[in-house]
Amino acid sequence: MTRLVVVGNGMVGARFTADLLAADVAGRYRVTQFGAESSQAYNRVLLSDVVSGTRDLGSIMMPQLAHARLETSLGSTVCEIDREDRVVVTADGRRTRYDQLVLATGAAARVPDLKGLGTAGEPPRGVRTLRTIDDARGLAAASMNSRSAVVLGAGVLGLEIAAGLARRGVPVTLVHPAPTMMERQLDEASAGVLADAVLGLRIGLRQGATASGIVADEDGIRQVVLSDGERLPCDLLVIAAGAIPSVALARRAGLVIDRGVVVTAGLASVNDPRIFAIGDCAQPPSGSLGLLAQGWSQARALVAHLTGTTVPADSVGTDDVVRLKAPGLDVVTMGICGTRRPDLPGHRALTVADSGAGRHIELVIHRGRLVGATCIGAGPIAAQLLTTYTQRTPLPLDPLALLLDRSAYDLGSAAREEPEDLCRCNSVTRARVLDAVATGAHTVDEIANQTRAGTGCGGCRDELERLLSRGDADAATVKSL
Amino acid sequence: MGNATTHCPYCALQCGMTLRTDSGLRVEPFDFPTNQGGLCQKGWSSAVVTSVADRLTRPLLRGAGRDLVPVSWEVALDHIAARIRDIQAEYGCDAIAVFGGGGLTNEKAYQLGKFARLALGTSKIDYNGRFCMSSAAAAANRAFGIDRGLPFPVTDLAGARAVLLIGSNPAETMPPFVRHLDAVRCRGGLLVIDPRRTRTAALTELGSGVHLAPRPGTDLALLLGLLHIVLARDALDRDYLAQRTSGFDEVAAIAVAWWPERVEQVCGVPVADLHRVADVLIAASPRAGGSGAYVLSGRGMEQSSHGTATVTAAINLALALGLPGRRGSRFGTLTGQGNGQGGREHGQKADQLPGYRHIEDPASRKHIAGVWGVKPHTLPGKGVPAVQLLDSLGRPGGPRALLVHGANPVVSAPDAEQVSRRLRGLDLLVVADVVPSETAQLAEVVLPVTQWAEEEGTMTTLEGRIVRRRKAVDAPGAAQSELWIWAELARRLGAPSVWPTEPAAVFDELARASAGGLADYSGVSHDALDKAQANNRGIYWPATESMLRFDLEQGDPADHLGTPRLFLDRFAHPDGRARAVVVTPREPADPVRREAPIHLITGRLLHHYQSGAQTRRVPELLEAAPAPIVELHPELARRHGITSGALVAITTARGTAYARARVSLDIRPDTVFMPFHWGGLGSANRLTAPTTDPTSGMPDFKLAAASIALVTTALPAQEVLA
Repeated sequence: MTRLVVVGNGMVGARFTADLLAADVAGRYRVTQFGAESSQAYNRVLLSDVVSGTRDLGSIMMPQLAHARLETSLGSTVCEIDREDRVVVTADGRRTRYDQLVLATGAAARVPDLKGLGTAGEPPRGVRTLRTIDDARGLAAASMNSRSAVVLGAGVLGLEIAAGLARRGVPVTLVHPAPTMMERQLDEASAGVLADAVLGLRIGLRQGATASGIVADEDGIRQVVLSDGERLPCDLLVIAAGAIPSVALARRAGLVIDRGVVVTAGLASVNDPRIFAIGDCAQPPSGSLGLLAQGWSQARALVAHLTGTTVPADSVGTDDVVRLKAPGLDVVTMGICGTRRPDLPGHRALTVADSGAGRHIELVIHRGRLVGATCIGAGPIAAQLLTTYTQRTPLPLDPLALLLDRSAYDLGSAAREEPEDLCRCNSVTRARVLDAVATGAHTVDEIANQTRAGTGCGGCRDELERLLSRGDADAATVKSL
Repeated sequence: MGNATTHCPYCALQCGMTLRTDSGLRVEPFDFPTNQGGLCQKGWSSAVVTSVADRLTRPLLRGAGRDLVPVSWEVALDHIAARIRDIQAEYGCDAIAVFGGGGLTNEKAYQLGKFARLALGTSKIDYNGRFCMSSAAAAANRAFGIDRGLPFPVTDLAGARAVLLIGSNPAETMPPFVRHLDAVRCRGGLLVIDPRRTRTAALTELGSGVHLAPRPGTDLALLLGLLHIVLARDALDRDYLAQRTSGFDEVAAIAVAWWPERVEQVCGVPVADLHRVADVLIAASPRAGGSGAYVLSGRGMEQSSHGTATVTAAINLALALGLPGRRGSRFGTLTGQGNGQGGREHGQKADQLPGYRHIEDPASRKHIAGVWGVKPHTLPGKGVPAVQLLDSLGRPGGPRALLVHGANPVVSAPDAEQVSRRLRGLDLLVVADVVPSETAQLAEVVLPVTQWAEEEGTMTTLEGRIVRRRKAVDAPGAAQSELWIWAELARRLGAPSVWPTEPAAVFDELARASAGGLADYSGVSHDALDKAQANNRGIYWPATESMLRFDLEQGDPADHLGTPRLFLDRFAHPDGRARAVVVTPREPADPVRREAPIHLITGRLLHHYQSGAQTRRVPELLEAAPAPIVELHPELARRHGITSGALVAITTARGTAYARARVSLDIRPDTVFMPFHWGGLGSANRLTAPTTDPTSGMPDFKLAAASIALVTTALPAQEVLA
């Protein structure tokens, strides 16, 4: 029996354990899992929906796995790893031995150094981040009474929060240090179209602006001060300035840390093969994207490695798709796109710049496959591009066709001219029906008796009625045309 | 013979029809509840099949010259019996296998199961319903404790505010069914999930509903996404879930991980469209005060090695909304074959005894053995499902002989080329059919049998409604009913029990055998049905003897309806609750990849039925749909230089098939569609995979990874492709 300890009960940690116990049919592993939050696992991706009020908290709770070989400790923070004795120590002093250890400690909100925020202790009232379920609960509650909010950071999370608060009717200003928003995913042109859409939601925008400090009193935050001196009055400040891998525990244990816990392609710590790291706290050779899909594929890969099995993929999705879940903003990026698009020879970019319509689409094509795309305001086209990208299915000869819907097609010479039957269920042509009318059929039933038209699904009976109402003479005329 | 009121020989809608014999055999529609006076072209032209030029009229035996030559019944049956005895003497009872069909009458389906177990003593029996209803059946049995395709009369659909059809194309496969959707379309509530814009999907247009076209193979994720939205909207029917179900919490917990944006990425269905469908379903559900919602599954989602799980996901969605077991709302599946319902209840299945009993249940064995007059221990045990059965033919330890009744597996089974090879490797292949099907052409003995207009019997519709099939004309030549053939063979093989040949007598025995089972027919007889027929509606199982007795004593026996609606008070599990079962999506067994970059899906055309053995012989149907086609998007066509009508080759890991291109905007650019009604080079099932569902045994008919190419060279036997 291998004693496996998992530190972290978030989306990646919980998923890892569920997959491991399912794959470990031989029963080789006994798992102890620690979760620092007292809540059961929840779907972190959906926290911003709670903020926007499009769903309630109860609907994001994840299953708490029950298993004979699993012990789960919630509200239990691991504060020390003793690598020599192979023990983890929790805050209450409990020691748990491990043969193998998996770190899935995730990440914490990055809080920039702001004057007036203080470095220790509680921040002033009204200053929040969004990382945990408690954060979401608190932020949703705070938005009820807020008369003015500032969101710091216009990345994916910041945009979702800003749009969510706007949806709740809170006046919002979005402050972003870079000249354009979502700069990890979007180039300047597409970010500009998105900025227009943000302004359309009545969200104030300060791009290329850094917050330098805050002003607070006993009631909480009053102002955000920008480095150019502008002061934004607010009673709510949400900091969405990225995340920092939670590696303090690993660092204390002497594991090699860079941004995250440095791991091999096999997800083992480079200086302790008994310790693995997955999810946001890990830094694999290929780099961390900070996206859930990557964490889930790491969990699957590690389970496969530990159990020597193949863990079936469950269509998690591809690691590098970003889709904004912000009410009123339609943004999807995938693969090589925007600022991540290298000007490599052989990579072809096809761009539809339609800022007037709030639309910007760019396709990146390499060797006849879609290797990346940016979709702003693209509507249902984005959904089709997603499967084209994730499945690597063949592209049209002219990839521009990817952006067309069926109404844009004139099948012309590509399709053989097939005379459409008036009654398809019984292969009855219009000419045959008109014949029947000309030879004395006066009702739909009489037409049916003569031709069988209208006797299948019945869908053409209206058409038969119309045809009859025009009168036999007209029908005969139509026929002669 | 005279005029007869009966039902169509084709699909499970069992449209009412009157057979007129005044000037040859002629069909007229009859206003039965399932078809409301409608018929499709297959039904109208069905009389033609009784007199096609190559109708089998005499037994055929493969002679020394390797040709099939006509022989007498005496010679044919003696030959079969002798060969069976020889093979069993050398290899044992299980060396003889039986393959049945979902088109056989209840009487034949029952008698075939009995013949296999008693006359042949073999466990090796299964049937083509494994390719049809097995996933839906497995999921319904697991969830509800009973598998009756529609546990309600199809006419109930008229009251619906929403009908969700998943992977079903009734406008093409059972056209008169569409009449039952007219009302819900007027209410804007027809919801269709299909990768193609089928004729059924097109019925959602102009405000009649919503069509979602997911990437093939992703139905389960899509259903979890819909469930997720129901949860997020707090639209669960909590009272219903608490009182009538178990296991839902675990299911809900899984659905939390399938938020709409993730589902969009997996399925290619826009988030907004997911919400539109969920909105309609929620508004229609009883909890929201709607007039009712129906979730109906079809082969599109069921025919995969993940089919049982996918149907379960649909059931879970229906449970969340409180639909099953409620009047005016429901979950159901649209059964395909003519007697696909009755055919799956009375013993053709590898693990089944009559009355939907399990063959390994001691009480069931005792009851059936009692009806048959044998000792329980003499009944064989459980056999193997169809794909495994066909694959084991002629292999070491596998069957050496196969008897085929009402099926054409050379065309209808997955990886059809391999199936042909297995059949050729047998010591003995016996095929009973009305025409020389592709499978019959490989047989050592071919037996001519009666068909619908030439025989009495019963069928069970897609709603579990037992209806009468009636005789209008005599069969041509020496054709005989299978009931007679099995009686003759049983006698020659010295089988125990009695072997009546009159359908009414066989039915009476079936009724006794089914008594106390899930599918209880004990209160039904041909006589009772003939009374009910006067009232024009059939009898729904379960229809027990005590129910009939009550009707006889207390009411009007003509009111004997059986059970039109199941589960109104309880589900069929011991605790009375429906079971929600956790299921999760999975990558397909045959995923798209560089050398096979497009999805191949298969299905049916309006003008043909199943393997096409009947409909390809009807001139007007053949004229309407003369040859195999491949439907593909203009962009995919352009990429490969293909125009409509061009000959194209579709290749998968199993092989290559050829068909004419039909360029259409009704299909996704990443997908091609091929109907499966043809054999030979145009056979779609040369391409499909024999990987099967672990629970139901259903193969992967509906999803394969393929490549496509324009055929520029001459092709052998090109003429078969017209």
